[in-house]
Amino acid sequence: MPETKKIKIDKLKGKGLTFEDMIIEFGKIEEEWDEPMGPTPKPNLLALRSWDRKLLERYEPFYTPICDMCCHCAFGKCDLSGGKKGACGITIRAQQARQIALESAIGTACHGAHARHMLEHQIKRKGRDYPIDLGLNVATEAPITRTIVGIKPRTLGDLEEVMDYAEKELQKVLASIHAGQEGDYIDFESKALHVGMIDNLVKEVGDLAQIVGYDFPKGDPNAPLIEFGVGTIDQTKPVILAIGHNAAPGAEIIDYCERHNLSDKVEIAGICCSAHDLSRKKDSCKIIGPLSMQTRFVRYGIADVIVLDEQCVRTDLLEEAIKVKSPIITTSEQNCRGLEDRTDDNPENIVRDLVEGKIPGVFIHDPAKVGEVAVEVALKIAPLRKDIKAIPDTKELIAQASRCVACEACQRVCPVNLHISEALKEAEKGKIDKLAELRDLCVGCIRCESACPKEIPIVSLMEKAVEKQIKEEKSKIRAGRGPILDTEIRNVGPPIVFGEIPGVVAFAGCSNYPKGAKEIGEIAEEFLKRRFIVTSSGCAAMALAQYKTEDGETLYEKYPGIFDSEGLTNVGSCLANAHILGAAVKIPHIFARRNLRGNFEEIADYILNRVGAVGVVWGTYSQKALAIGTGLNRWGIPVILGPQGSKYRRLYLGRKDKEEKWEIYNARTGERVKVDPTPGHLTYVVESKEEAIVAIAKLVMRPNDTTKGRQIKLAHYIDLHKRYMGTMPDDLHLYVRIEGDIPMNMKEEVKEILKEKGWKERIIPDPTLVERLVWKKEAKA
Amino acid sequence: MEKGGKGVRVTSWRMGHDQGPRRAWPINPDAASRLIKKAERPVLVVGSAIEEVDGLIDIAVRVSKTGIPIAATGHSIKFFADKDVDVAEVNVVEITNMLTDPEWEGLDGQGKPDLVIILGVNLDLTNQTFSTLKNFTDIPGLNISRYYNTNATYSFPNLDNELWLEYLNQLCEKLESE
Ligand code: SF4
Ligand code: SF4
Ligand code: SF4
Repeated sequence: MPETKKIKIDKLKGKGLTFEDMIIEFGKIEEEWDEPMGPTPKPNLLALRSWDRKLLERYEPFYTPICDMCCHCAFGKCDLSGGKKGACGITIRAQQARQIALESAIGTACHGAHARHMLEHQIKRKGRDYPIDLGLNVATEAPITRTIVGIKPRTLGDLEEVMDYAEKELQKVLASIHAGQEGDYIDFESKALHVGMIDNLVKEVGDLAQIVGYDFPKGDPNAPLIEFGVGTIDQTKPVILAIGHNAAPGAEIIDYCERHNLSDKVEIAGICCSAHDLSRKKDSCKIIGPLSMQTRFVRYGIADVIVLDEQCVRTDLLEEAIKVKSPIITTSEQNCRGLEDRTDDNPENIVRDLVEGKIPGVFIHDPAKVGEVAVEVALKIAPLRKDIKAIPDTKELIAQASRCVACEACQRVCPVNLHISEALKEAEKGKIDKLAELRDLCVGCIRCESACPKEIPIVSLMEKAVEKQIKEEKSKIRAGRGPILDTEIRNVGPPIVFGEIPGVVAFAGCSNYPKGAKEIGEIAEEFLKRRFIVTSSGCAAMALAQYKTEDGETLYEKYPGIFDSEGLTNVGSCLANAHILGAAVKIPHIFARRNLRGNFEEIADYILNRVGAVGVVWGTYSQKALAIGTGLNRWGIPVILGPQGSKYRRLYLGRKDKEEKWEIYNARTGERVKVDPTPGHLTYVVESKEEAIVAIAKLVMRPNDTTKGRQIKLAHYIDLHKRYMGTMPDDLHLYVRIEGDIPMNMKEEVKEILKEKGWKERIIPDPTLVERLVWKKEAKA
Repeated sequence: MEKGGKGVRVTSWRMGHDQGPRRAWPINPDAASRLIKKAERPVLVVGSAIEEVDGLIDIAVRVSKTGIPIAATGHSIKFFADKDVDVAEVNVVEITNMLTDPEWEGLDGQGKPDLVIILGVNLDLTNQTFSTLKNFTDIPGLNISRYYNTNATYSFPNLDNELWLEYLNQLCEKLESE
């Protein structure tokens, strides 16, 4: 409801008129929006607790502790293993859940602070009344906000109400984590789901603010192809590198160049989501790559100035930058890096100090000033920095490799267990192939170097082994298009809900891959060929650009940027990731005419039972990725994690072997009925690319699939299982509901299996978990 | 290489895997075989990484042929489909989850395993699996993968490839004897 302010005037005398006890009300005019308010506008920690319990009853939390101890308070450390409780009375199960709630809250706080900053920044630039207008094709401009908060934001100022609500909820979740507050693991999970949902919300706010403020693409399926890779950087020009997630400083760099006719004279490039967002603003900005490229690229010495903003920025980049004499400018109050605050100083003084090397870097909390300083420093310092790099030459590589004593300390800390000393042994003889192979698998964490007793610059040696290829590495990525169009949803809504478009596969997550970035490309290509809708964001969208098909094209060049069968969309940065969920939310609204306003439970129930979407987080690392995934789960969207994802320590697993877990209401009759176990899990971990592919095909099934839709989905599942597992699936009897579900060309084969398993036909209900959504209430009795 | 045994301190291959006071007993092939023989319903969990080292698939088949069913996780079912072994396909976190269920009756419905042996599962997932078993079940875990894992109840020490295959061969021989 719109907030108002009241002023009471006891007595007011005018010409011939006297008012007494008058109340004047100021505030927002009740918006014209004919949707009735649903049951849960601005839900608090309790409003959706019963929904969470329904989900968690079916998808029970499964814990893989990564630590048996708790050091949360000064009572501890407490050893919680073997059924022991902590001094506060907590069990290891509740402790895992508490940690999940905490980490999800951290992830949400990151996106939230980012969104709040972006919103304030755009309000400062454009004014509170600046309209949120995404064009006629995106009339449902903020599906997540509408559903959770119950408002239809028309201006930037309206988004402040959303942020106020989100910040309040985040605070309550954090409060519940204090020792001696919440103690029940299911309630902790409910709080994690709540804060995850808030994460989805603030991302939408942040991205809407930057889309309208910076005039980013507004759902354009033909968003331009952006140059991607180290090889695209024109090193004859001064190079400015932006790292992080907040577009504000980078946008000012672009604007400063434009105002001073320098756009052709300065090269602007980015790593991580800042790169996505800069290329959404200006398509000549280059994208170098994901998180794993940060240290490596800095060591090449190509960047003349490095501008750091926030989130997922390596904490030792200042040290690295000093090695190659690249000045650093930090710009976010969340991330000052110990540098002197020169926000109020004259830009000329700052430029001089940086160019003369008097200081290694500065903190400037004013995006416009960052724009000026970064460009001026780059122009002046570039000629002085020629040929400075921290990558050794071949002679040095061999000399360093020969210092290795094969202690394997490096391998023991390497997240992907790379056999580094074996590669160094070869390199010592001048053979660098093995080292180059490892480079493809290395996630760029640099842990090996800090563990090496001989201080061998292992990562730099690997980089030398691939230097030539990397410097020629050129590729294309589609610029982040932002939202999915309402018109696209109109087209794909029915076939998705009926199961005839077999599914939506959404790639997100970080560059911590078990076997290199290539696997993401291979998974995506498999589903694009099979006419699924494939969508991506953040570092995962970049991994797709690193992959080339057999024809030497990237997937972005080969497949159109539409949200439709065989389309590959990149929505943009982590913030923009909200539009993927937004598309799922729009389906019940646009296709099935379900109200969004304050109506979370009904929408989530619809998505869970009808929208065959699955998230794939192949590389896991950040708390933000955890918050994103946990939020998606509350909306009924399953997420598959790569093997490292088990270290998040909690999954939500279904039990397909327990029939009683899959009971729902048939909305047509009100009866409780058993359905097929779909979607099978909410958060799931797989071991290998092959298993991921098969799991995706299975997790897109929904109880609402029509027989035609289920036939298509089963045909893919069976075919992929045969191809990647070498066998027929052994659980087909669970997913064939009636004979009509069996794919035409597999009838005999499948029927035989069903017979063996003693399969019986089941009804296909109108599925819902929520009793109040039953049409005929009287039938329930 | 740490060989384990008397007087040698065995540490987790990945230091980060040391997650609390309890440590796995380092074990050699002889002791491992006795443990397996003593178990009534052991299960051999074999992961996708089984394909990464030559000879491992054969080892798993040999172990299985001594009467131990294989739970093939990841996509490893592919490597056993044409072998004459008792094998069932299951995801690694799903089987671990079921193992924590006091009422679960095993993949064959005949009873819950009383020993979980792991081979060829991704390094971190092996650790996480043993962590769940350790914290939420009474079922002992036996790690016969290449690297010592402290979350297991019993584990081979850290071994180089050659010695590991030797350990595994010895284990097979012991299991195959009598
Ligand atoms: S929060 Fe509880 S378990 Fe953790 S250290 Fe404090 S008393 Fe121990
Ligand atoms: S930087 Fe690469 S090689 Fe070194 S520990 Fe990290 S992943 Fe392994
Ligand atoms: S830590 Fe250093 S010395 Fe030891 S094996 Fe690795 S590179 Fe060689």
